[in-house]
Formats: sequence, structure tokens, C-alpha cells
Amino acid sequence: MADSPPNVRLELVNTAESVVLVREMLSGVGEAIELDPSDLNDARTAVTEACNNVVLHAYRGKPGPLEIELYLGGSSLDVLVRDQGIGLPAEPRSLEVDTGGIGLHVIQTLTQAVEFTDGPDGGTEVWMQFSAPGTSSIAPLRDDGGEARTLALPGKPTTTICIAPVSLARTILPRLIVTLAAHAHFSTDRISDAQLLADALVEHAQAAISGDKLSIDVTVEPRDLELHVSPLNAGRARRLIEESSLGEVAGVIEKLTDRHEVVSTDTHETLTLRLSDRR
Amino acid sequence: MSSATATHSLHIDRGTAEDLDHLFAHWQERRDPVAREALVKRFMPLTRSLARRYDRSSEPFDDLLQVASVGLLKAIDRFDPLRGHSFPSFAVPTILGEMRRYFRDCGWSVHVPRGDQERALKVRDAQETLSSEYGHAPTVSQLSQYLELETEQVLDALQATQAYESLSLDAPRPGSEDDTITFGDGMGREDERYELVDLDATIVAAIQHIPARERAMLHMRFVEDSTQTEIAARLGISQMQVSRLLRRSLDQLRALTRDPSEV
Repeated sequence: MADSPPNVRLELVNTAESVVLVREMLSGVGEAIELDPSDLNDARTAVTEACNNVVLHAYRGKPGPLEIELYLGGSSLDVLVRDQGIGLPAEPRSLEVDTGGIGLHVIQTLTQAVEFTDGPDGGTEVWMQFSAPGTSSIAPLRDDGGEARTLALPGKPTTTICIAPVSLARTILPRLIVTLAAHAHFSTDRISDAQLLADALVEHAQAAISGDKLSIDVTVEPRDLELHVSPLNAGRARRLIEESSLGEVAGVIEKLTDRHEVVSTDTHETLTLRLSDRR
Repeated sequence: MSSATATHSLHIDRGTAEDLDHLFAHWQERRDPVAREALVKRFMPLTRSLARRYDRSSEPFDDLLQVASVGLLKAIDRFDPLRGHSFPSFAVPTILGEMRRYFRDCGWSVHVPRGDQERALKVRDAQETLSSEYGHAPTVSQLSQYLELETEQVLDALQATQAYESLSLDAPRPGSEDDTITFGDGMGREDERYELVDLDATIVAAIQHIPARERAMLHMRFVEDSTQTEIAARLGISQMQVSRLLRRSLDQLRALTRDPSEV
């Protein structure tokens, strides 16, 4: 696996809401590669089991990171679920034992291959492989020299979403943003606006970034959703907003958000978009 | 069945309510096909007019008429003249019900399993109910509490309604049991107010391809700053319908104005 960078990477915290987000992401991927619905269901179930283990057991009830990487290629779909928790007990690799609630049997049954390893920083990595004939439609990614970290937002629970190539985001990002808007207690009215915003971002981001990867940090607070799109090439953030204008439909992005802001550093720009629900 | 009876039925086929009772009696008690034929013929104009209400949907009219006719036959079979209601007041909901079922089963542009379809329609209806109760659109957790569903099931239902092409402006509105009001009726002449001014040629050309009612929605949302719920109320349609149509028309506009060299 993992010779090339992941097609999707999610940095989450170990909450039940995060598991919903992972499942929605898989549905979006399934739609993009036209995965058979029952295969998608299998993948969703197995990955859910692995994530639930992180939510319920890896941190003994304390908050901690949950990281998901998804790779497409070679007629398979690979998902890596990583935590930095207590790690595997001595004998968990024996799939005979349903250790600590992890649905090992479920995962083993539903995957083409599965591997449990110790993570690089402690914790556990569960790597799962599923058959997915449609992955040939996804162009292979070149390694872009590791992860350029997006804006650090100290103190705020942040979800990081990275999708490559950007075209893959078309079916994934709207689902993720809708789910996050639901978690932010938005009304269905504003949830739909968030979805339209995600569509516009996917459409116009390509021209604003240097590689072919869309990276967004999202902070979720009651009735507030803040999206940080980064790193954008110098001068491109403003243009991204302007290009979302469709004649009469002036600035879709501008109209859908309550506030937008461009922060420039020496090397790049970050576009911050804030959506609120003031019903 | 003797030919004398059949002849007797036939000569009254343009008659009064009394004659209708007679035809129903002939069909329901004696299974006289000639009587049923006469009833079908008599109520075909009504059936045709009901089918025509769905005519702007993606289904061919002949298919719609066929589905409506099945509804008519069911109504003829089940109608009980002794209950004192007129046949049309019984037949109209039966025929519309038949068409609605047809749309539920066949009207989804991508395959959505039946259970998911039902759930999506429930979410749509609950969304309407709660919106009018609260004065604003509900949240996903309010919907999931109201319907006793998981958050994720509500989210999936919201996604599924995006696939529901055939919930056209002519489909009966939720909650209008008499089915006399359709989505289209709420439109009025709203769309004619939106003139196209000062736009570049590409956009003008593109926007001509967007149906008038969707142009009106785009104008209300992005020029007048109305919320989706306000637009829905103004047009007499559901917010989910507004959501779907806005998304589709923005998508179309982008596809039409996309610079081919960027693709």
C-alpha cells in the first residue's frame, strides 16, 4: 500500500460523531468509484468496527486523536485506522479473541486482508483492504513531499480533511460538510447552504492550489462552522471567491458564508469561511 | 352473462347518477365486463386529466395514463355506492395514490432501496411539519428525535432526496389530502420578474438553459438573500425541494460556463 500519499486523510477525535463522518466519507468514495452497494456496506461496517474500538477503548474514555487514511488503486480500497492510545494487548493478534470489544471477527470476515500493528507513536494501526474494481478511474498521485500542515487552531476541536485528487472531492466533501453542519446543530436550511458551499469549493479550488490536493480544517461549534482552506497560492484566495460568481448569482461563496477572510504568509494563503445559523 | 343484460347496461352509459349506480351494481354483483367498460369510458376524461398533472415529469405520458387507469380500475372495483359519496370523490384519491406509489417505486433517478425511499419521504414530511411548528427549518437532531431515527439515517435520507428526480413540481404536496393543490400552483408569476441585465455573454447564454422557476430561486437566494425556507414558503414547495433544485441549477450553470481549457 502507501507508496503514494493517501487519497483521503481525516484527522478526527475519538467521538461517535467522528465515526459517522468516516462512514459518510466512505459513502462518498463509494459513489466516486461506483463501488457495488453491498461492497460499500461491508467496508463501512468493517471500518466502523475499527473506529468504534478507538472511540470506546483506545483512550480508556479520554479524548484522543483518530486518524483515517484511505488509498485507492490496484483494484482495491485500503483504509488505515490509526490511534495513539493504549496499544494492543499482548495477544490481540489472535483473531480468535474478540478483544476489548473490537469486532475482529467482523473485520476479518468483511475484508480482503487485514493487519493490526503498533503505531509509530504508540497506539494501534488497523489496515484493511477491500476489493474495489473501480479504482482504476482514479489517477495515481505523485508524492508531494509530505503533509503541509494547515492552520493550527489551538483549543478548538478541529477536523482536518485532505482529499486528492481534487476531483475526488466532488462526491466526498459535500457529504462531510453536511455531516459537520448537522453536528453544529444547523437547521436543514443552513445545512443545504453548507452543501452548496462545499460544491462551490470543489469546483473552484483546483485553480487556487499548487498540487492536486484539497486540504480543509473545520472547526465545529454550536451553530457555527469555520472552514480553513489552505495552502492556497498567493493571490488565489480572493480569486477563488470571485470565480464562484455566476453572473446574476453574484459570488456564491460570499453569499453563503457569514464571513470570509484571507490570511497571507510568505509562502501561501489561507481562506477562512465562516457559516453560522442564526435562525 | 346473457347478451340481453349487456345490451341493457350499454344503453344507459350516458345517464344520471341512478344509471351509474346501475352500472356499479352490474359490475360488482354480476361481474358484467360491459358495465365495467362503460364505467371506464365514462371516467377516462377524469383519469386523463389526473395523469396530465404529472405530464411534465420525466415519465412518458402513455405510461402515466396507464398507471392512472390501473387506479381507476381499482376504484371501480372498490367503490360502494351505498356509502352515499360520489364516485369521483372516491376515485380521485385512489388514482392519485396509485400514481404516487408508482413514483415511489420507479421515480428515483438512481436506485434507492424502497426502505430508504420511504424514510426519505418521511424525513421530508417531518421537515415540513416541524418547520411550520418552529417557524424555521429543524435541525437533524430534532428530525431524528421526532422520527425516532439515528442522526445518520436522517443524513442519509437528506442525501437520498437529492436523487429523487420525479418529485416534480406537479407531484401532490405533502399534507394536502384532497390533492387539489400542486407544487406548481404556488409558483404564480414569480419567475417573470427576473430580467437578465448586465451579464456577460457566456452567462446570458448559460442562464437561458436554466428553467424559469430555478432562475427565480437563484435570484431569491443569491440576489434577494432569502433563506431556503422563505423561498420554499413563497413558492409553496418544500425546503428540501428548494435545496435540490438550487444545487442542480448551480451545477448546470457551472457546467455551462466552465472554460473547456480548464477541464
